Amino acid sequence: MKAALEVRNLSYRYPQNGRLALDQISFSVAEEECVGVLGPNGAGKSTLLLHLNALLPERIVSTPAIWISGEPIGSHNLQLIRQRVGLLFQDPDDQLISATVFEDVAFGPRQLGLEGPILAALVRQCLGQVGLAGFEERQPHRLSHGEKRRVCLAGVLACKPSLLVLDEPTSDLDPRGRREFKSLLQTLPGAKIIATHDLELVVDLCARVVVLDEGKIVAQGPTVPLLSDEPLMLAHGLEKPHSLLHRHPHGPGMPLR
Amino acid sequence: MHQAAPGIKLVAAVLLVTFTALLPRHLTWLYLVPTVILLVLWPVCRMPIIYGLRRLLVAELFIVGIGLLTLLHPTAAPLFLSALVKSNLCVLAMLLLTWTTPFQQVLQQLRRWYFPTVMLSTLALMCRYMPVLGEETRRMTRARASRTFSSKRVVSWQNVALIIGQLFVRSADRAERIYLAMCARGWK
Repeated sequence: MKAALEVRNLSYRYPQNGRLALDQISFSVAEEECVGVLGPNGAGKSTLLLHLNALLPERIVSTPAIWISGEPIGSHNLQLIRQRVGLLFQDPDDQLISATVFEDVAFGPRQLGLEGPILAALVRQCLGQVGLAGFEERQPHRLSHGEKRRVCLAGVLACKPSLLVLDEPTSDLDPRGRREFKSLLQTLPGAKIIATHDLELVVDLCARVVVLDEGKIVAQGPTVPLLSDEPLMLAHGLEKPHSLLHRHPHGPGMPLR
Repeated sequence: MHQAAPGIKLVAAVLLVTFTALLPRHLTWLYLVPTVILLVLWPVCRMPIIYGLRRLLVAELFIVGIGLLTLLHPTAAPLFLSALVKSNLCVLAMLLLTWTTPFQQVLQQLRRWYFPTVMLSTLALMCRYMPVLGEETRRMTRARASRTFSSKRVVSWQNVALIIGQLFVRSADRAERIYLAMCARGWK
């Protein structure tokens, strides 16, 4: 299967303090595959995600380390890469920059040259896709946290990305908001990378996980066997998810969902 | 007045402010022209009196500050008075404009008039992030108050200074993240 993303020997050192944030990272994501990126705070998850959108390093190096649908990231194709990779930031307030929901969802497509009725139809379609039809004239600062996150997702979807990269998509959401957002993510086509501490989300959505610690990949493989490895999880600041911990009393071997 | 085209309201407000600013440096009957227009428009726009007066009062501190500078001039008194009246009239004109026209409509109109994109983006971002900064300030003030056990005025001023400093640092960090988020969606 063709890889939606391929990362080969990616390393990054922060110029401010010289700390090695990513150390020889290599992994790939197939089309339509959903991969979880796990790790304790400071493991390098967010730094890795910024690289996937060509936001880091500050100066694109001549030797590529990341390929998006076979296209190596270089200084000549930044706009194409950013259109193909939809990045959802952790704090919705960082991403919602416009005064109305419509303007915000339209921000990305406008950069791609869309205007007029085509743009309006696309914005409506994306808002409908995230369950916010009719929110066009609402002001972002008057929305709930869950609604803000959905608007952010609509803004990303409006650029028609082939790879969705989500940074802590369920943080700060209440259980209902988390459940709804998870259902929404399940309906979205295309490859997805989810960096999160929400292990239940990973169990439900991701077929495969990559575990990062101190900038290195310490484990990668199918979700359930890897997350069931309690010593590995504890060694890297994680925990075995509850759904894998507790077995259903009437169905031995069946994880509770 | 709320239904009127934003372009007309914007042009009218700018003309009125320009006319007021160009009035002579001493009070003459010409000052009655913008005064009467604004006093007639006030009830027409249905702007509550208290709302208008409160906002004028906030601006008054700056207006009086500017007015005081004119006292350095030999013919101080008439200059001070005219600066005071001019500034109040201009602020009132802008208050009526913002009361009747949502900021988003003003920006759209300016975009139609081909104002520089960078300037409009800056204004739009300012409008968007004012409530976010306000909320952040409230959260920090509450958190600081919960750990402040002294009623001394010095302590409270120190807290205000700390909050302002923190707000600057956090705003700079947020600005960095906003810029990255904009780049991620194709901002050039």
